[in-house]
Amino acid sequence: VSKRRLLPTRAALTLTPSAVYKIRHMLQNKPEYIGLRVGVRTRGCNGLTYTLDYAKNKGTADEEVLQDGVRVFIEKKAQLTLLGTEMDYVESKLSSEFVFNNPNIKGTCGCGESFNI
Amino acid sequence: GQTVLPGGTHYPQQLLSSKPLRWSSSSVQGKPVDINTSQDKVLLSETCVKRLREIMEKGEYLRVQVEGGGCSGFQYKFFVENTISEDDRVFEQDGVGVVVDQDSLEFVKGSMLDYTEELIRSSFHIARNPQAEHGCSCGTSFSIK
Repeated sequence: VSKRRLLPTRAALTLTPSAVYKIRHMLQNKPEYIGLRVGVRTRGCNGLTYTLDYAKNKGTADEEVLQDGVRVFIEKKAQLTLLGTEMDYVESKLSSEFVFNNPNIKGTCGCGESFNI
Repeated sequence: GQTVLPGGTHYPQQLLSSKPLRWSSSSVQGKPVDINTSQDKVLLSETCVKRLREIMEKGEYLRVQVEGGGCSGFQYKFFVENTISEDDRVFEQDGVGVVVDQDSLEFVKGSMLDYTEELIRSSFHIARNPQAEHGCSCGTSFSIK
């Protein structure tokens, strides 16, 4: 019986083709930025929300994800939270957004459009 | 059909046709109307009007609908609409239209329909709803195990 075991290593964040395409498009005419930075922030009814910014450089604590030629940096605070997440870009006539399919979460709000009377 | 006043003078129809929007309610030009005069209306922000002009074809409207659901009890839904039924109210401005059914209007009247573009998301949303006690404010909120 072999003791050798392959350990699975995953990228901290994976990008769907549409996300790659969109990010590439966003950075096309902006040579001053080398990628995007994903973070989390305390906000909203379920505790946390994702943030997205242009990144001029790699922060010292940032996790770098390089996929299909586009770079996404993950803030230190967001690394544990985002581990294994798939970043997707969904576009429709009425809205367009980056969606994070995160396996770590236990509850989503899913609304952002909810209100109470 | 030309309207002639008793005195024989013509109604100023020419004025109307040269500036068709002049007396319509849409002459507000994106500025939010005073809250007292807009109580059973939905206002459209300038960015919202601009975006609708870009994406909507002729005969298409943006439908705003309120449904039960979401973390706070009610949620807004947005659709592209081609047909308008009897209990719909249409709010037109600068050539674009938004439809709200009467039931939904009770929940959104007096609020402003806005379109925001951010890096992470571009979408329509209802802003400053006087009926809403407090919103969820998130859009993509989540919590960790």
